[in-house]
Formats: sequence, structure tokens, C-alpha cells
Amino acid sequence: MNGQVSESEARLALDAVEARRQQVAAEIDVPGWYWWSVAAGWVVLGALATFAPVWASAVGTVGFGALHAAVAPRVISGRRGSSRLSVRRDLVSRRVPFLVLGFLVAMVALTTAIALVLDADAARHPALLASGIVAALVVTGGPLLMSWVRRRAVRRLSA
Amino acid sequence: MAERVMAEAVFDDLIHPSTRLSIVALLASADWADFAFVRDRLGLSDSALSKQFATLEDAGYVHIERPVTQHRRRVRVRLTDTGRRAFVGHVAALQEVISTAKLGARSD
Repeated sequence: MNGQVSESEARLALDAVEARRQQVAAEIDVPGWYWWSVAAGWVVLGALATFAPVWASAVGTVGFGALHAAVAPRVISGRRGSSRLSVRRDLVSRRVPFLVLGFLVAMVALTTAIALVLDADAARHPALLASGIVAALVVTGGPLLMSWVRRRAVRRLSA
Repeated sequence: MAERVMAEAVFDDLIHPSTRLSIVALLASADWADFAFVRDRLGLSDSALSKQFATLEDAGYVHIERPVTQHRRRVRVRLTDTGRRAFVGHVAALQEVISTAKLGARSD
């Protein structure tokens, strides 16, 4: 125990500590280039499915999956949203990578659904159109998902 | 606090001044942070922040690295284990002040 500070001074100091923790929690993010790269890959796969032979599309899909598996673990934790700091593990929910992967799985399902609808409607390039639409959703929805994760993290700290 | 480091509640005079407490609290939530990040978040000048870092480095509380990335010199700062223990101990001491005051108020 120490008698050097009053209760109100201690409270102010602890409030300042919490405010700084929240400032760091507000940095939880996935780099923007990740979403743009995934979206670009999506469109390329859509183009392959539309214009290339089946084997090329299969090779492209496997290659994209392998590249993603190699890069994603370092990126989707949410701890390295910017090059200016690395957020400590205890501040970021362990569920963030699963949320990002779940989002991408949902986007795969959505691509398939949109392509089937477009195909039934006799659209000329259903796979390419579907992948283009979903790529736009990845670029806008990914950052929105991370913004939700950040808000939750900050709320958890202030609770 | 969600810190995993266990430390005895010890009031730390070096950490307590508000600017240094803010710096250490910021670094305690990060593995490392850029000098510029800390400067911008705390609204300090380069020289004021350098002075605070020098004090914390002399005490062994922070470690300053100067990696060269993409031909640019950067300054990265991280809290050392000693610094982290001191911070956790200081926060525990502040919490103790509050809980003791609460107990005193109840017994009155």
C-alpha cells in the first residue's frame, strides 16, 4: 500500500491506463491489402472458371488456397493491422481468425448462389459476374467486420 | 487488468507521472509500437517523447530498437519484462489505494 496518492488520483490514473488500452484496441485490424488481394483472387478465379479449361480453374483454386493458407495466419489475427504497432495477444479475441475465415466461407457460398441464379437467368458469364459482385462485398465487408471486432474489443475493455 | 504478468502491488514513482504512465500503458497493450505511433497518440513532440523514453530506458523499462525497413530507419519501442512487472505492480498499487479507501469509507 502507499500513501502517496489519494483515491481520486488513483482513479484518474487507472482511467488513463484504460483509455490507453482502448486506444491500442482501436488498432485491431486486418491490413487493407489483404482484402484487396482476396478480392482480386476472387475475380481471377471467376475469370478462370468462365474462360479457362476446367483443369486451369482447378489449379488456380488450389494455388489460391495454398497462397492464402501461407499468408493468412500472419495477417488475420487482427494484431498487425498497421505497420505502426503489434497489438498484444491478450487484447485481441482468439476468435478473430475464425471470424475472418467464416466470412470468406460465407462469401464462397454466396458466390455459388449468385452464379446459380445468374445461370438460371441465362446470364452470359455467371461465374465471372458472381465473383465480381462478391469481390466488391469482400472489399467492403471485410473492413466492416473488423470495425465490428474493434468495437467489441473496446466495449469489452470498458465493461 | 488482463495482464498475465504477476507482480506485487508496488507504487512506482518513475511510472506514475501522467505522461510516463500513458506511455507505459500504451506499450503494455502492445508487443511493440513505433515511436511515431506513441507520439501521435499522446500528442507529444519528438523531443519530449525522446526524453521520456530515455528515462524509461535508463530504468530498464523499455527497449528501443532501430530496424531499417524499406530503406527507412524506424524506431520501435517495447516494454521490457522489468517494465511490464513494474507497470502491473503499479496498477495493482493504484487499485489497492481505491479498495483501501472503499473499506475505510464503509467502516466509517
